[in-house]
Amino acid sequence: MSNDNAKLTLGPVLFNWQAETWRDFYFRIADEADVDVVYVGEAVCSKRAPFHAPYVADVVERLMDGGKEVVLSTLALIMSSREMEELRATAEGADGMLVEANDVAACALLAGKPHVVGPFVNVYNEGTLRYFAERGATRVCLPVELRRDAIHAMAGTKAADIEVFAFGRLPLAISARCYHARHHGLHKDSCQFVCDKDPDGLELDTLDNEAFLTVNGVQTMSYTYQTLAAELAEMRDMGVTHFRLSPHTCDMVAVAKVFRDVLNGKTDVEGADDALAGLVGDAPFSNGYYHGAKGVEFVTE
Amino acid sequence: MFSPPSSSSGPRPPLSPILIGGLVARPLPPSLLQPALSAAMATVNRRHPGLFERLSNLDTPVFLIDPVDLGLVFVLHADAERPTLTARRTGEGCGAVATIRGPLLKLLELLEGRTDGDALFFSRDLVIEGDTGAVVALRNAVDGTEIDLLNEVAGAFGPLAGPVRGVARFGQRIFARMAEDMEILHGALVSTTQRRVEAQGVKLRDLDAKVAELGKSARRQRTPKS
Amino acid sequence: MTHKLELVCPAGTPASLHAAVDNGADAVYLGFRDETNARNFPGLNFNRKELEDGLAYAHARDCQVFLAINTFPEAGNPSPWHKAVDDAAALGVDCVILADIGLCHYAAEKHPDLRRHLSVQASASNPDSINFYVDAFDIRRVVLPRVLSVQEIAALNKQIAVETEVFVFGGLCVMAEGRCQLSSYATGESPNMNGVCSPAAHVRYVDEGDRMVSRLGDFTINAFAQNEPAGYPTLCKGRFVTEGKTEYLFEEPTSLNAAAMLPELAEAGVTALKIEGRQRGKAYVAQVVSAFRRAVDAVAEGKASPALNLENITEGQAKTSGAYDKSWR
Repeated sequence: MSNDNAKLTLGPVLFNWQAETWRDFYFRIADEADVDVVYVGEAVCSKRAPFHAPYVADVVERLMDGGKEVVLSTLALIMSSREMEELRATAEGADGMLVEANDVAACALLAGKPHVVGPFVNVYNEGTLRYFAERGATRVCLPVELRRDAIHAMAGTKAADIEVFAFGRLPLAISARCYHARHHGLHKDSCQFVCDKDPDGLELDTLDNEAFLTVNGVQTMSYTYQTLAAELAEMRDMGVTHFRLSPHTCDMVAVAKVFRDVLNGKTDVEGADDALAGLVGDAPFSNGYYHGAKGVEFVTE
Repeated sequence: MFSPPSSSSGPRPPLSPILIGGLVARPLPPSLLQPALSAAMATVNRRHPGLFERLSNLDTPVFLIDPVDLGLVFVLHADAERPTLTARRTGEGCGAVATIRGPLLKLLELLEGRTDGDALFFSRDLVIEGDTGAVVALRNAVDGTEIDLLNEVAGAFGPLAGPVRGVARFGQRIFARMAEDMEILHGALVSTTQRRVEAQGVKLRDLDAKVAELGKSARRQRTPKS
Repeated sequence: MTHKLELVCPAGTPASLHAAVDNGADAVYLGFRDETNARNFPGLNFNRKELEDGLAYAHARDCQVFLAINTFPEAGNPSPWHKAVDDAAALGVDCVILADIGLCHYAAEKHPDLRRHLSVQASASNPDSINFYVDAFDIRRVVLPRVLSVQEIAALNKQIAVETEVFVFGGLCVMAEGRCQLSSYATGESPNMNGVCSPAAHVRYVDEGDRMVSRLGDFTINAFAQNEPAGYPTLCKGRFVTEGKTEYLFEEPTSLNAAAMLPELAEAGVTALKIEGRQRGKAYVAQVVSAFRRAVDAVAEGKASPALNLENITEGQAKTSGAYDKSWR
């Protein structure tokens, strides 16, 4: 193995969880989850952030006490001066923690000091990767639609640590428009935070009653859960350094354990898949992007 | 329904006179029509060698063009180097990547680029089978040309040149009227079959819905490993 | 008194380029026939020779030519994109329209004198990101995302020192451009990497007698009753079921027409207006360009925007002023 130190990360909670649920989730992660890095912060909708604000300091402290590296995640689509101000405040108040940029505005703001570039910034190739690495990006979480060969080429540059989205519903699109509000007949400005009704996203079916996508406020996600448990070893050999698990309401401590066991060789791929199937519930798995197929597909080789 | 091409859309693209020729030649067996078609395509190729270059990324750019009101079909081998157009009684075994089927009038609109790329799919009159991407490519290739081959192509029909020119010259008006008649006739011919197919479609869909409901609850994580 | 807006028009083929130039385009934008541009549709776009001829035709008639190289090179295969930029410089296009940061960097380093515009695909929707592109790569114009209202555009223009270009007619992306993977999720073909969204090769129409179903990949995107106008099955304009409710959750099959807002857009400090539709035919280009030519000229003279009569172009689809009118959200 070229890289025995592959790390597990827990991505930012992408859904609108009740503030206390959100806090308790991170407390449990801090105390029990075998992950190396935890991202904290609102990446999807700036209107949600104030609810979590009172608990952020406690969450960060608890995570650090639990031996986790904490990264402050930031908004994927910055559209207002208020959102820009919040981004500046996060960058200035980071107090030694890394910040994850999810909009080019954040990349510009963080240039010159170490930072993470998140999956919502389009880093599709070596040229862009090197550009950001030369300006302080120490780690880049790749866009979800990159396939194996591209991931290989990116890791091969050794320009920065490479993180891959390894578990969870795939974030597929972000919009200025809120589809949760639209579905409930509400305007975005007076949305009543209806996205909190669906802590794993609102299921969207085709006219044939086939579950297809999920809606998470301004974000659209897959219905399937991407899982790259079977691909971990290969990616580690390519030089991928970090694997991201995206939080859901299922038992994320158990999910982390499955992935850790795969990394440590304590469980085989079939065992991992069976365990994850038991944790996730009804939704199918996908891994098509990695294999150069449709993102929705689950390819078994 | 046969609106004149807008003034800026330039002279007519090359394929429609050939098909019009086909209409004139309707009583003839395909074998008699073939020399004229071949001569016409040779003219197209000589004058505008780049016409089908836009399809060069397709492995076998073979299209079956089936004017349902003609009684014969055309096989277009849109090879960038050596395009050919063949008239046949049926398209069986022609190896087409896509079939475009519909009333001649609608096919002309498509092949003249007057059916918009997006609108192509909205039409209920055209049936596209096979590689829809290839059909879009064909439409774009034809829309991208600005040539007037009417007279030359008509000339290639030899003894039929007169009727071809005649049809083409008065084509728009005559065609619009003919088309109505043909569609009525066509509708009468296919309606019995169509109704049966439609009924089957409805039944199948009801069945599909039931299966989908069952399937949804049974849908499991993954396809079993082989 | 407002400045005269520049009219930037689409050309998918040489015939469309001629139609755009002849009908009064100030600039034509186009792409090479490969995955380096975001309209990589079958049978469309320009080879090098066609671009050369198109440049001669346009320049002889005082019309500029912009080359879109606005997809994101996939790691391991940058050469088609680099070659496109090199050829653009060699052939003498008036600017390249770029989205990828690595490619912006390449173009700025290798061809500093080649004018650079930022594509809408870069999704630069705030002053800080726009200023980043301007400072880092000497971007001279930014094509703004279709998610901003006129008020937001006006505010933005006060905080940036670069020309802005906005879409006024044609297809409407409801997701942030360049940040949407819906197409690749369902079809494997990506707007960002392959330059196609909901590609035709994955589209099927199935006539079921009393309704017609449109499918994209393995998914039913819409169904139409006998006389209902059908739409192209772009994923975000499909009909879906959420909590038992069947609806156009993302967007109705509408397209953008901001003709009535030209005075406000000029007032907001916009430099150029963009017409979408490189995949449409030359007849579409001729009609839309000549209509907007009249409108832009009228507005520049302080007159009201004239009626454009473009209804026949939209195949029964509805029109919207999109996000320019903030109630859209």
